[in-house]
Formats: sequence, structure tokens, C-alpha cells
Amino acid sequence: MIDLVAIAIVGLGTYFSRALFIVVLANRRIPDPVLVSLQFVAPAVLAALVVALLIDEDGAVAIGIPELAAFAVGGGVAYKTRSHIWTLVAGMTVYWVVRAVL
Amino acid sequence: MSEAVSIRRRGFIDALPLFVPAFPFGLVIGLAVVESGMNKLVGWSSAPLIFGGAAQLTLISLLGSGAAVAAAITAALVVNARHVMYSAALAPTFQRQPRWFRWLGPYVLIDQLFALVSVRVDDDPDVFRTYYLTAGFTFWALWLITVATGLFVGPIVPVEWNLGFAVPIMFIGLIVIGIGRWPQTIAAIVGAGITYVAAGLPSRTGLLVGALVGVMAGTIAERFKK
Repeated sequence: MIDLVAIAIVGLGTYFSRALFIVVLANRRIPDPVLVSLQFVAPAVLAALVVALLIDEDGAVAIGIPELAAFAVGGGVAYKTRSHIWTLVAGMTVYWVVRAVL
Repeated sequence: MSEAVSIRRRGFIDALPLFVPAFPFGLVIGLAVVESGMNKLVGWSSAPLIFGGAAQLTLISLLGSGAAVAAAITAALVVNARHVMYSAALAPTFQRQPRWFRWLGPYVLIDQLFALVSVRVDDDPDVFRTYYLTAGFTFWALWLITVATGLFVGPIVPVEWNLGFAVPIMFIGLIVIGIGRWPQTIAAIVGAGITYVAAGLPSRTGLLVGALVGVMAGTIAERFKK
């Protein structure tokens, strides 16, 4: 139940962020300093998320060699191909192979 | 009337190639729902209710990892804050549109649709509306189906494969592909570093601290660039 409520809240918030200027503030512009900061929101949050997802129950960050290798190769492939599919394939393959070898 | 048909066909055909990269993403969200242990229908409902991959994946993976609900919601909302930019960019075009479309349009305003329609803002309002709705709801239908597919694939994959690791891999891809300028790289590195240092904070709130400091670092780096 709490999951559904959380999803609904994020859904409303997402709609609001998409509708803000189209429905509500049609004649306003975003102030330049805000516009500058907005472009850093996605990279900062997503990078923070990657680390947060690897925190175990005790609050320690559980990143081993397989994870680091997968991130490095996945990141490199993403940079080269700009493709989510190849990033996923390369990252998971490296992760599985390194884990099996170690 | 035949003109409307050809615009619809155009919107549909333009949407398909842009959906391809979203396909593995939708599957991973389905898998994340299965891994999180939440009710599958509830997890799937994030597709029509949120309709935004990064925010869905953020919310579901954090809820499943035992984060505080408020922290998970905040993180997901912040991830989607970039849509404000799309909203502002399209606002003048939407002013020439009927009220019902001004309310409905934002619901499907995802990255891919913005990329498609931002080059068509000078189209005739009727043409723009038809194109926007066709492409937007093509993405929408494909997305709902893809996330559902992930739900069915999830349980048949062996646990030892640790497919949940696909989630951080997808985020790495989103970061790298989304970064266009070096101050954004600084924002990402600082965001990750501070979250690492703050890992001991309760209920994964370290993530919010890391994100906030990351945004500040990017903004400062932008100043030094000049």
C-alpha cells in the first residue's frame, strides 16, 4: 500500500514538473541560475544512486572488483556507442565473467 | 483527412527507433519490481502513473533496498526535475493549443518525445498536436508493454545471475550518455564521492546529501569555466 502511495506521489510530482510552464507559468521564464543548476541534477543524483544501491545493511559500501570492472567497461561502452543495450550487455558480461574467474 | 493520417503515420514511425534504447530499460524496471518484492501490479502501475524510466527505477530500487520512503520519493522526484526544462521550452508552442491538450500533453512529455517535437514547434498547431499525441502515446503503449514483459522475465531468471546488478549498470549508462559537458562530469563524480563518504547515514539519506553537493559542485565548476 505504501508502495502505491509512493508511486502516486512521484507520478503527481513528475506530471507537475512537466506541466509547470505549459499549464501554470506559461508566460514566465526560468531564471538563468536555476537553469544552470538544473542540468547538474540528473548526473549528480544518478551517480549518487549508483553508490547508494551498493550500500549493504550495515551502511558499508560493497563494491568489489567485479562491480568496478563492470562499471568501467559499461561506462566505456556507453561513451563509445551511446547505446543502453550495448552498455547493459557489456557491463553484465564483464560482471559475470570477472565474478566467475575470481 | 488524409493529411491527418499521414501525420499520424509519421509520428508513429518516428517514435519507433527512439524507443529501441528504452526497451532494455523497461525490462530492467520489470526485473527491479520482481527483485524489490513489492506487489507486481503496484510496481507495474509506476509505468502509467509516473511514465518516466529513471524516476521509476530510482523509486523501485530504493524502496526495495530498505531506504526510507520519504528519501526514495525525494530522490525519484529530483531525478525527474529536468522535465521542468522541457516544459519551459515548449510553453510558447502550447499557448496556441486548446486547454485539454495543455493538460494532457505534459503527461507524456518524456526525453524522447521532447527530442522529436522540439524541432516541430513551428508546425501548424493542429499538425503539431496530432504528431505530438501520436508519437507520445506510441511511446506510452510500448512502455507499458515492455515493463510488463520485464515482470514476466524476472522470475524465470536464476537468482545466482544477480540480475539486479543491471540496475546500477543502467544508471552508469544514463550518466555517461546524458553528460554533454565537463561540469556535469564533476557533478556526477562529487555526487558519487559524497554519497560514499555519507554511506553511514540512516535510511540511505546520504544519497540526497551527495546529490545536493554534486549539483552545487557542478554549478561552481560552471562559474570557473567562464
